[in-house]
Amino acid sequence: MAEYKLLTKDFGTERLQTLSVYESTGGYQGLREAFKKFTPESLVNEVKTSGIRGRGGAGFPTGTKWSFLPKDVFPRYLCCNADESEPGCFKDRYLIDESPHQLIEGVLIASYAIQCNTAFIYIRGEYHDQRLLLERAVEEARSAGYIGKNIAGSGFDCEIIVHGGAGAYICGEETALIDSLEGLRGQPRLKPPFPAIKGLYGQPTVVNNVETLCNLPHIVQRGGEWFKSLGTERSTGTRVFCCSGHINRPGNYEMQLGTQIRELLEEECGGMWRDRSLKAFQPGGGSMQVLLPEHLDLPLDMDAVAKAGSSLGAGAMVFMDETTCLVDVSMRLVDFYQHESCGKCVPCREGTYFESQLMHRLERGEASTSELATLAGICANMDGRCFCPLGDTATWFVMSAYKHFGEEFEAHCGAGECPVKARSVAMVA
Amino acid sequence: MAADGSALEQPDDGRVGVSIDGRDARFPKGMLVLDAATELGIHIPIYCAHPKMDPVAVCRMCLVNIEKFPKPQPACATVVAEGMVVRTETAEVTELREGMLEFLLLNHPLDCPVCDRGGECDLQDFTFRYGPGVSRFPITEKVHFNKAVPLSQHIELDQERCILCWRCVRYYDEITGEKEIVLQQRGVQTLVATFNDQELQSAFQGNLPEICPVGALTHREYRFVSRPWDLQRAAGVCPECSYGCNINVDSRDFEVKRFASRDNPLVDDSWLCDRGRYSFPVWNSAERVRRAAVQPRGGESRDVSVDDAVAAAAAELRGVIDEHSGEAVAVLGSAQSTNEECWLLERLARTVIHTPHIDHQLEAFADLTAGEHELGIAEIEECDTLVVLGPQPEIEAPVLTLRLYKAEQKRGARVLRLDADTAPARVAAAVGTAQRVGLIADETNRAHAARVAPALAGKRSVRMLTITRGVNGRGAKDLGVLPNLGAGYQSAPASGKSGREILEAAAEGSIRALLLLGPNPALEAAGELLERALRKLSVVVAIDTRPGAASRAATVLIPGHALLEKAGSVTNVEGRVQRIRTALPPATSAPPETRVLSALAGKLGAKGWERGDVLTVNRAMRDAIPAYAAAGNGGRAVWAAEAPA
Repeated sequence: MAEYKLLTKDFGTERLQTLSVYESTGGYQGLREAFKKFTPESLVNEVKTSGIRGRGGAGFPTGTKWSFLPKDVFPRYLCCNADESEPGCFKDRYLIDESPHQLIEGVLIASYAIQCNTAFIYIRGEYHDQRLLLERAVEEARSAGYIGKNIAGSGFDCEIIVHGGAGAYICGEETALIDSLEGLRGQPRLKPPFPAIKGLYGQPTVVNNVETLCNLPHIVQRGGEWFKSLGTERSTGTRVFCCSGHINRPGNYEMQLGTQIRELLEEECGGMWRDRSLKAFQPGGGSMQVLLPEHLDLPLDMDAVAKAGSSLGAGAMVFMDETTCLVDVSMRLVDFYQHESCGKCVPCREGTYFESQLMHRLERGEASTSELATLAGICANMDGRCFCPLGDTATWFVMSAYKHFGEEFEAHCGAGECPVKARSVAMVA
Repeated sequence: MAADGSALEQPDDGRVGVSIDGRDARFPKGMLVLDAATELGIHIPIYCAHPKMDPVAVCRMCLVNIEKFPKPQPACATVVAEGMVVRTETAEVTELREGMLEFLLLNHPLDCPVCDRGGECDLQDFTFRYGPGVSRFPITEKVHFNKAVPLSQHIELDQERCILCWRCVRYYDEITGEKEIVLQQRGVQTLVATFNDQELQSAFQGNLPEICPVGALTHREYRFVSRPWDLQRAAGVCPECSYGCNINVDSRDFEVKRFASRDNPLVDDSWLCDRGRYSFPVWNSAERVRRAAVQPRGGESRDVSVDDAVAAAAAELRGVIDEHSGEAVAVLGSAQSTNEECWLLERLARTVIHTPHIDHQLEAFADLTAGEHELGIAEIEECDTLVVLGPQPEIEAPVLTLRLYKAEQKRGARVLRLDADTAPARVAAAVGTAQRVGLIADETNRAHAARVAPALAGKRSVRMLTITRGVNGRGAKDLGVLPNLGAGYQSAPASGKSGREILEAAAEGSIRALLLLGPNPALEAAGELLERALRKLSVVVAIDTRPGAASRAATVLIPGHALLEKAGSVTNVEGRVQRIRTALPPATSAPPETRVLSALAGKLGAKGWERGDVLTVNRAMRDAIPAYAAAGNGGRAVWAAEAPA
């Protein structure tokens, strides 16, 4: 099984970013069919049938999420989460870059399904070019009658507002995204109430990832049953995997779920570079636990990867070769979380700082072996006790790396040398 | 009951059964686990949670185990549910509390020895109670922030001590609505600061150091002044206005060092205004009347014993009464006097001296009834529309603003701040179809409010609250220190002169003797008229605390006790009778006013006035006035409507 191109089928077509080319590839047919074939309720059911789960990381079934909206409370809002900031993740940028209209079509279909008349695309601040591209596409779609009043003669009205973030990882968390969109400090909100009940401006709100929404035109056109036939029973459809690290062909690859990870690595990514061997990989972006070469036989299936002690997360695959020092990688990731902690809750704010100080001591060879127990203690006191998943996940990589590569951590203690570095220097020489 | 008789249906009493640490109890639906535990006497440490604010669950100190939840849950943000089993004593909870405290202390400067909060600091207390013995964090790697940043003339901020509980930010969001303090930066660099580095403007900033769980926000007036254990604390009532906010008077070495709030949800809701809170230095003034003196007109002043002064006062008053009549004597009380003193003074005037000329203020209030303060402070929250006539009510009683804001924010009420002289018809139009209306005015606009009220009348309820002046302005009125009304707003047997009329009559010569119970700042507004009257009077018996016009002109002067030196009760704006306790030793050896007034009555020939101690007087007052007996300590005095004549 090679790549399965559903969302990325027409990618590479010249000027696909323009409305006319997008339409010539069948674009906006999904939206028209949604109006023709479905009522909002039946559309929600169709998406439920498809079994699609959110592509942002948590993997919550999209149709079910939509059905949590309280009846008869309006206005409702849709927020497209394009704040892609997970370390190692670059699929949403790719989807927007290649086909902004596909996302807009998806946003409109979702808006129709949940009866929302104002949708927001919250795009991370660093995606400046993508924001401009989306804004142009929104304008084009508006002048063609796909956005605004009485869309394509359906009687359905919807506005789309593209909003640029200001550069905070936490704003990818749905409630922090909502706060940021409202002009507040981007910090997660206390749940319950969940956004479906009380979200943006206190109204029922759905937050969906870019890739999730990009699937909708295809689900509408080809049916939920067909979509369900792709992938595995509980991980349906395809996903775009952002592959990076020590591989020959880094990039985005759309795979049917259920494909072996080994196939993704060896066939699409061209295997490890310079004929080196795989030491470890991270299947879901910076937040997720490290996996070992033996896990390459796992299928790209959310539940199977979860069972192995990690997660497919937001679909970022980071492959690390034998020259990689896991203490170094852990330190860099911990620094990232320390920098991105919003500061709202104590364990995340102080814990990531403590973690980062200890990792730096370890890396500098200043830490004693007893500090490894301290590190584990700090992580235990963060995981599951923070206000939002940021603080929890700030411990996952380092703890899994410590579990699998404990001797590497210990070798760094007490003015020790990094064993990996010594070996790598020898290897390169 | 079920057909098989197996299950007895629990009647829905709006409560749910919960077990906390093995103790079963039923709590109202919607109650927080934290509050339920507190009810059972189980302590759960908190930093961010505050009883008057919505939960944010950021400090994570209150995490507890709840069955069926895989992760520990914040007790401050979790509501009780039927069958919930909560555990606060598990190994996990013990360990996580240690962990959170270790985190909180990572970047804390640990400068307790020089911190004003030391001794009453939740961070200190919980660290002792729940914290780890040691920190594993290298002290050299702490993050540093600014210390002793002045935010205003009253408040200082130590950004290092701050544990970022957000209470100050939320206080400004939820309680005052002024949003003066914000969070800046993020992660471990997060700090609180004022918006745009502006100086704090709020009239309620003094509450900040009290809601701060640590020593980050402190009073500049209290900086390096005292340790809490060196303070003597007396529960009292804020003397600054008639709103009746409950306070603790904290003194050291016989000087007041601060006023602290003492939560009474029915009155202050735990908030004080800065005018009240920072008014304490006035009570430390050394300028006092300390010795009794007799100073005949045209003669030398000489110090005498209080007994001799009382005898001289009685003789001088008796002389005027015998020569003219009781009506040649006038009695002026004060809104600063206690209920016990007011009650004695009123009886002394009407039943011993037999004069109708008694008042405690300058101007007479026409048509004064108890209906003028029917609306209680807490009942403001029950109104759907509140009409405030002019800015004066909130200037006179600033904490009222916070109650109005609460009604607006948390109860969805509408607050209409209208010009004091808005025509009744326009007020009615603004009120529209509201069903429960509160009408608030001050004493200057009470007459206008009385014209507005009938214009609002209809099927809805319209209740009024008039903001009185002086800490016991309401008590003086309740107890009939008024020219036209006796105790309980009943018509007086004979109508007398108002304060100003008394002074005019004295200046012109028809009133010859005056009994003054001070201090009475309201009288000073009469200015030159007061001076003229005092000069002309042949007898001035003054019981006063501070040197001034009255003490200078007194033919008999008896030192009085300042409010904080007295025990007794005062009645607030809504008629709530509240106890005050001796917070400072008296600055004089003279007996308290109740004894002096009783002795004076005795010397004037009255019977049954032998015992003038506060307790006896208080009991006698309650026996005589059922509304005060029913109010007890802390209740509102409710008056039956006057029977139609």
